[in-house]
Amino acid sequence: MIFRHEIEALSGQNTNLCFQCSKCSAGCPLADKMDLKPAQMMHSIRLGRKEAVLNSTAIWLCVGCETCSARCPQGVEPAAAIIAARLMAMKGGVPPKVKEVDIYYRGFVDNMRLNGKIHDASVAGITQLLTGQMIENLPLAWKLFVRGRVKPPPLPLGGGEFRKIYRKALELESSGYT
Amino acid sequence: MKYGYYPGCSLEGISVEYNHSMRSLFDALDVTIEDLPDWICCGTLAAPSISRLLGVATPLWNVAKAKQEGFEQVVAPCSACVYHFKNAEKQVNQDSKLMSDVESVLELPLNDLPRTVHPLEILINDGFEERIKFSVQRDLSNLKVVCYYGCHISRPAEVMRFDDPEDPQSMDRLLNWVGVQTLDWASKVDCCGAHFSLIKPDIVVDLCTKLVEAALEVGADAIVVACPMCHANLDTRQEEIAERLGHPFKLPVLYFSQVLGYAFGLEPNTLGLRKHIVDPLPLMLEKCQPVGANYPSLQEMSA
Repeated sequence: MIFRHEIEALSGQNTNLCFQCSKCSAGCPLADKMDLKPAQMMHSIRLGRKEAVLNSTAIWLCVGCETCSARCPQGVEPAAAIIAARLMAMKGGVPPKVKEVDIYYRGFVDNMRLNGKIHDASVAGITQLLTGQMIENLPLAWKLFVRGRVKPPPLPLGGGEFRKIYRKALELESSGYT
Repeated sequence: MKYGYYPGCSLEGISVEYNHSMRSLFDALDVTIEDLPDWICCGTLAAPSISRLLGVATPLWNVAKAKQEGFEQVVAPCSACVYHFKNAEKQVNQDSKLMSDVESVLELPLNDLPRTVHPLEILINDGFEERIKFSVQRDLSNLKVVCYYGCHISRPAEVMRFDDPEDPQSMDRLLNWVGVQTLDWASKVDCCGAHFSLIKPDIVVDLCTKLVEAALEVGADAIVVACPMCHANLDTRQEEIAERLGHPFKLPVLYFSQVLGYAFGLEPNTLGLRKHIVDPLPLMLEKCQPVGANYPSLQEMSA
């Protein structure tokens, strides 16, 4: 399958509808920090520039605010295409250009597997430990703690349903699902 | 209407005051909400980054389970959760292969699912105007706020199907019903940076600085939000924002449920008003007067 079709299958978006008006790039709150702005991303996908897309910072910097999708006059959701590219990069073992985001998403799902729901303080703590941002965030963590907004981590006794969904979804996907 | 309540992970942790104030608000309005049993995380952007099927199946498990339990609507106070629920539903409705794959993963049928809504949708669409106006116990007419909707109250329109994606008004209307002045401002749907607070805090400070600047420019006393992420970012990053702006400021950030609850005369502790980093109580005590003779004074309440 060619790259554009892979992205389209994963995102449900028809990238050929994009006529490069660039309203997505104009509205994107993070465009100034991205190497490929959303409109450039859409064009790169259509041109089949797989390497450039999967090795961009943009696929990691998208926060999914959906401003691009809301403003596209062609009804395309660039965010969905970008998230599909990130998924391909994470699955394909492409070294992440913004490693903090990769660490966060993987840690988040790992935490879900313990209890079905996340324990926000553990996700925050582990992410910050692994990305070397623990120390500067300790004062804030303390302020939240004294206000009763940090719960002790629960015992991993729940989450059986999520682990089942996780296992079955990944099994089904590896058996030829696109 | 049988509402199933889906608090979401943040509301059981960092945003516990949103949970408490939301529950007491529903209580004050005589809306019966019942917690969904055994709910799981919506997966946010993390699950769809690991696997598409997982990203769609995770939120839908909650809705499919809610249907089995006989709920007609699922109400989730976190706008990101609402978005992921609605978006997953849209995706399976557009793709029959995906629908059957998700059904086989979940072992639950996905037809006629209950609608997922944000509490704002219930309060605006389900005929609560009179009840809200008649429940007012405190005069909040001196309070000037900006309503910050963030990303997922109404965006993208074809997924959320509520309010205007560029200029939403639901929260403004709701607060006007209890007498609060809401100011027009430019940043009501701009992004706060969401979970980047944990991984790229500089980006969040950048984005939130613009929001705070816009709010201060129109003379707001406080920012009112309807999402735990928006609240966390705006409330916890004000020291860094002050450094960027070059001048100190304190701008309380409140949940709409706290403002409504306060107008209804609920106790500050019930609403979790003492749990914020930027303490909103001095502002509330200064700007808000009790109406009605038999109500205890604010000084007594704050003691």
